[in-house]
Amino acid sequence: MLEVLFIGLSLGSILLLVALGLAITYGAMGVINMAHGEMVMVGAYVTVLSGIWLGTNIFVAIPLAFIVTALLGLLIERVVVRKLYGRLLDTLLATWGIAILIQQAVRLEFGLSFLGIHVQGLGPGLQNVSVPSFLQGTFSILGADINRYRTFIILVTAILALMTWFIIYRTAIGMQVRAIIRNPKMAAACGIDVSRVNALTFAFGSGLAGVAGVMMSGFKTVFPDMGTSMVVDGFLVVVMGGVGSLLGSVLSAGILGEINGLVAAATNDILARAVVFGVVIAIIVLRPKGLFALKGR
Amino acid sequence: MTLTPRRRIDWAIYATFVVLLMILPLVMDAFWLNRAAKYLVYGIVGVAVALSWGYAGILNLGQGLFFGAGAYMLAMSLKLASPTSLQQGSDKPVPDFMLWNAEPGARTELCCITKASFLWLPFQSQWFGVAMGLILPVLLALLLGTIVFRKRISGVFVSIITLALVLLVRLVVIDAQPVTNGFNGLTDLGWFKVAGFEFDPYIVPTYYLVAVSLSLVLIGARLLIDTRAGLILQAVRDDQNRARYLGFDVTAYQTFFFAVSAAITGFAGMLYVIVSEFASPTFMDLSFSITMVVWAAVGGRSSILGACIGAILINTISATVSETEGFAEAWKAIIGLIFVLVVLYLPRGLGGLAHDLVDRVLAWKSRTSPNPTRVGDTSSQLAE
Amino acid sequence: MGQVALTVDGLGVDFEGFKAVNGVTMTIDEGELRVLLGANGAGKTTLMDLISGKTKSTSGRVFLHDTDITNWEEHKIARAGIGRKFQIPSVFKELTVRRNLEVASCRNPGVFANLRFGFGAEAERIVDEVIELVGLTEEADHVAAYLSHGQTQWLELGLLITQNPKIILLDEPTAGMTQAETHKTSLIVNNLRGRHTIVVVEHDMAFVREIAERITVLHLGQVLAEGNVEEIEKNPKVREAYLGSKGIS
Repeated sequence: MLEVLFIGLSLGSILLLVALGLAITYGAMGVINMAHGEMVMVGAYVTVLSGIWLGTNIFVAIPLAFIVTALLGLLIERVVVRKLYGRLLDTLLATWGIAILIQQAVRLEFGLSFLGIHVQGLGPGLQNVSVPSFLQGTFSILGADINRYRTFIILVTAILALMTWFIIYRTAIGMQVRAIIRNPKMAAACGIDVSRVNALTFAFGSGLAGVAGVMMSGFKTVFPDMGTSMVVDGFLVVVMGGVGSLLGSVLSAGILGEINGLVAAATNDILARAVVFGVVIAIIVLRPKGLFALKGR
Repeated sequence: MTLTPRRRIDWAIYATFVVLLMILPLVMDAFWLNRAAKYLVYGIVGVAVALSWGYAGILNLGQGLFFGAGAYMLAMSLKLASPTSLQQGSDKPVPDFMLWNAEPGARTELCCITKASFLWLPFQSQWFGVAMGLILPVLLALLLGTIVFRKRISGVFVSIITLALVLLVRLVVIDAQPVTNGFNGLTDLGWFKVAGFEFDPYIVPTYYLVAVSLSLVLIGARLLIDTRAGLILQAVRDDQNRARYLGFDVTAYQTFFFAVSAAITGFAGMLYVIVSEFASPTFMDLSFSITMVVWAAVGGRSSILGACIGAILINTISATVSETEGFAEAWKAIIGLIFVLVVLYLPRGLGGLAHDLVDRVLAWKSRTSPNPTRVGDTSSQLAE
Repeated sequence: MGQVALTVDGLGVDFEGFKAVNGVTMTIDEGELRVLLGANGAGKTTLMDLISGKTKSTSGRVFLHDTDITNWEEHKIARAGIGRKFQIPSVFKELTVRRNLEVASCRNPGVFANLRFGFGAEAERIVDEVIELVGLTEEADHVAAYLSHGQTQWLELGLLITQNPKIILLDEPTAGMTQAETHKTSLIVNNLRGRHTIVVVEHDMAFVREIAERITVLHLGQVLAEGNVEEIEKNPKVREAYLGSKGIS
């Protein structure tokens, strides 16, 4: 039983890892970033490439992926997203286009494959990353075998969530972000540079996705389409938790992770995912504002 | 219904389009005609998306649910009509995959070979499959619509619910391997038969089956939005509350048109099975549902014909481009790029562009003619 | 005085302990024009929400003539004969002015009854009249999104006139208007007098003086006073609670 619960916790932490960035971009900026999954994918490829070309491990990849995806996020915000503020569904559609572009860029090795140049670690194929040996294998607590790498993910997720909480609730820029969540026009009237804060927020959210990608690469196969299903899961977590509520995302990720783990233990992975979707639909129908919505008029 | 200049031009464009559909077989071989038929099916889906997104304001990201429902219903019937895929030598044939999934010791009969195989029994009649192909999507839409719209859920939440639902159903279909053949879907199907005539996907009559269907759906949808109910629906889209305080049952309007859109999509799913001879869970993939929205966005979300042409155009181009080795993947990237550009710079799509063009021409004509007719006259609104 | 059109009997709502409207009782006669006054938070808009069904009441009843319409669904209350204009003007933005009014002219609200073309000569005649009445003849074929703020307000008034309800609830019909626009609005409202029973929430005293017969003053969710303009201006309770020591400006 402890093992099942642990797997649920681990699944929840993976959900949260992806959802954290979305909670910020969607909650704070009202942007449905369908390319978020591709940011995760880019983060995973940064791990692959840094492993191949620099010979470094995932600890080096974490800051590297954060920087790369944050810059990519900044670029997307400046070129596309900022023209679409206030048009929620249009951001969804436009970022879906961007998602395809990023996928194809990786698959076609940025177009180099047309010139007959191939970059090791890119392209349509599958990539694998090996994690440092001390993160491999299991250790045992109370007779339960606990996977080391999954524990590592839970730790990293917890640290990232705390860091995000700290930035949003305990720093000056976080206060501005929260002001924008509540009322962007009023925030602008109060002298907050909304456009700059939005750009930084989007970059930060994307950077978190990049780190999520690094973590993913340690236990999942890396390939160009890997992000598509993640972005859906991430959104479900955010919407179920309540848009704009960080705590809501944390709790709903935990709940969905445990449900997934328990159902999967009782039946199979496919049904477990189906049940998760069902739970989310039911909650959105019953409480469209999510479990932990911001109170307000 | 009076015919204003604006509306006259609209109908002329529709007529031209239908005529083009009808003469296409004169210039195409069987292989391309079959492909064309597939794209016309996508055109029908485009109409359904425009109806629900452009006119009802409901961005359904799970359109594939209705497409898949329609497709599977007919495919079940056609599977049972397929001579090669059934177990030979038995007078009560069962689909091949059921034999592979049979429960140990089960009788090789449709009633009881696997746990839920009895669900297939009524599908031995092809017309039961056809009827279910319409009924199931409509029932799903009515159920979903009644719950969601009565709870006044709107905008992005509807999109997320529909999206989650299509993925849920996809997983259930995959999981129910003994009844649905899981990931592999239903393949090796028989031909659709009407009064003994077999619709081989590679013959001209099959093309006409699809072309005539598309024409009817197009004209029907266009007439539907020209009715009072169509206008009221657009009012609901613009401001639900205003419509509500004018006495309209908003939920009923949204649910009705959502169900119409579902019926059209389910119908398209059936036609797709007839021309492509398979049904698979990929119909319910996230990317397929979003791709449908892409067609409508490029063609013009609030233009019935525009969305239809958008679907046909994108698929035709991508098929042509994919003929060239290696360009298939690059084309996908180009689609992504086109999509970003359309959302940014052409939010009303090609249909909106054409609409503005017609307005220009009409304005120019009214300026030059001695008896000026007013351009944006009373019933011009729906033309878009 | 004629027959009673609208009866509000002890109406109240409790928002988790906060009673925005707390036991309001009033009757409004057929053909009357009643103004609701009150400071911000007095419960005027909430009262309208309760009458029109937007908010469900937790106590009391609302009668339209003899029909108990308490807590009906909004569209049913609307069909029973209560029309409403919002504080923030809401019209069908992507439809032309004429089409907006055609929607409002539709007498049969069901989906299937409306699967037919055109609205009929009678409806078109009414629509033409209303377009003239609210002064949007030149804009008749413009999309509503392009109207000015004042014009949008008038279009919404036009929707109500076309809908032809027994009772019209107007929530601050002159909010954000220039003086000239306010004056035109008072002309439109005065034009409706007698044909409809009208309830108006308004802050603008100049406008109130132009239209008011009887005034009901709300304070903290309850009725504080009722009377004509003069009585209300003299009422000491009103002066104290709402107008402060300065009196009506």
